[in-house]
Amino acid sequence: MIEFRSVTVTYPDGTVGLDDITLDIPAGQFVVVVGLSGAGKSTLIRSVNGLVPVTNGELVVDGSAVHGAKGRALRRLRARVGMIFQSFNLVKRSSVLTNVLVGRLHATGFLRSMLGWFRASDKQLAFEALDRVGILEKAYNRASALSGGQQQRVAIARVLAQQPSVILADEPVASLDPPTAHMVMRDLQRINRELGITTIVNLHFLDLAREFGDRIIGMRDGKVVFDGSGVQADDAVFERIYGRSLTNEDVLGADDVEAAPVSLTSDPDAAAR
Amino acid sequence: MSTITPPRAPGRSFTPPPAPSKLRETIGMLAVTLVFALAVVLADANWPRLLEAPAVLGEFVVLMTQGVLQNPLEAPTNEYWTRSLELMIESLHIAWIGTLIGAILSFPLGFLAARNVAPPGVVVVVRQILNAIRAIPEIIFAIAIMLPIFGLGPLAGALAIGVNSVGTLGKLTSEAIESIDTGPVESARASGASRWQVIRYAMVPQVMPEVVAYWLYRFEINIRASAILGVLGAGGIGSILSALFNIRAWDRIGVTLAVIIIVTLIIDAISGSIRHRIIHGAAPRGVRRRRALTPEPPPV
Repeated sequence: MIEFRSVTVTYPDGTVGLDDITLDIPAGQFVVVVGLSGAGKSTLIRSVNGLVPVTNGELVVDGSAVHGAKGRALRRLRARVGMIFQSFNLVKRSSVLTNVLVGRLHATGFLRSMLGWFRASDKQLAFEALDRVGILEKAYNRASALSGGQQQRVAIARVLAQQPSVILADEPVASLDPPTAHMVMRDLQRINRELGITTIVNLHFLDLAREFGDRIIGMRDGKVVFDGSGVQADDAVFERIYGRSLTNEDVLGADDVEAAPVSLTSDPDAAAR
Repeated sequence: MSTITPPRAPGRSFTPPPAPSKLRETIGMLAVTLVFALAVVLADANWPRLLEAPAVLGEFVVLMTQGVLQNPLEAPTNEYWTRSLELMIESLHIAWIGTLIGAILSFPLGFLAARNVAPPGVVVVVRQILNAIRAIPEIIFAIAIMLPIFGLGPLAGALAIGVNSVGTLGKLTSEAIESIDTGPVESARASGASRWQVIRYAMVPQVMPEVVAYWLYRFEINIRASAILGVLGAGGIGSILSALFNIRAWDRIGVTLAVIIIVTLIIDAISGSIRHRIIHGAAPRGVRRRRALTPEPPPV
């Protein structure tokens, strides 16, 4: 489904984002990518839809080459790859419906999109997407009138309206409070299970990573340093990925009482020093 | 943890850092004074007349006030008021048409002058064109370009105002575009939208409120400009003003000035409140407040 063959990404300033990555992500998998900021997890996700160009190697998504793709070919590819961002990236002054319809632009012609005359079938898709994330009644509200969790759901609805085969989520819950973060993660998981859309999520909270990841990929300095299931990823593994002992900062915390606190192998006071 | 510094040990000597030099400020002040003194001497103005000014001004103000205070319902004063109002409305038309021309032309130019939309070469060229337009006052546009081509009349005035508005509106629009949130642009691009679609759905909605507010503000400025252009024969209230000055009809001038001031103040107030509403959104009303107080239903 997504194949990285010795992919290297070097930024114009010389920073190496990805260092010779080879990965295979089969269709329908829910992958969580973890690592410290600067480890390359954002670069990994953004290379999949060409927001960050691949410098070397081959990257094939759903049968199409991303490396070297430009113009119309790249737009066609992006239409099949939905993306969710940490800061939601909605047009705050536009309505929720218009924000979701952005996901239909790839299938809408120049004149129609300039005049805002979306096909009835496209609007129907947008409403269905909003219904799936449970905020259909907000369709005509301004995006700015919604709470953070609701805004991230609008972003998920926009991605669903695209009818993608892959969903990328770059730190989707980093700006949300713990209960809302769990809810948004459950939305993503439900969509992955029900629609079979391959999903790659960047997270830095290890408890969320274990709870939701079918597969966890650990990154450090642009390299994959761990690739395994959530069960295999114990605290020792995370310490290796992070290159330091774990702290309270690495845990999002419980969304309700029954979720047990994640064990910290190191003395919490040691982290504060 | 504590950031409080311990008290200095008694008797320990210390050297304060040397005060920065004030030479630059001193030279600057001297230069400004010198330029001012030179200007006073070289301007060749009849400075002693400045002393007589208050008395002369008082005389005119009395004459003008007499005109304003006459019963506006009686002939011939009612005639003065209605005629002035008619011409002021013509000035408003000129200003409005000029603003529309400026708005329509400046909108695409604003995008072409924005670094995050157009290629660098285009940006440089369009910006220089906008700079050149801004450097020329609309009076010069009217006298040098519009009056010779279109002749005396409101059309020349509206076109001069319109072209001049393009300069400032284009620059302000491009600055609004450059300061947008890049997040929505990135997400639209990531969903496969084309360049035009990104502009239409991620950029235009973000800048539109500011841009419309600039248009309204420019309309306020253009009302004054169209009154001035009338003096040159471009129609509107300015044309009657210059005729009245020629015959020194101070009472009618008073009425005309009163109309200009009152109408301008009213339009400024309306336009200002619309601009405020566009930028800051509607003032909270009962409906909104009630909605805010109702707790949100738990998501299903």
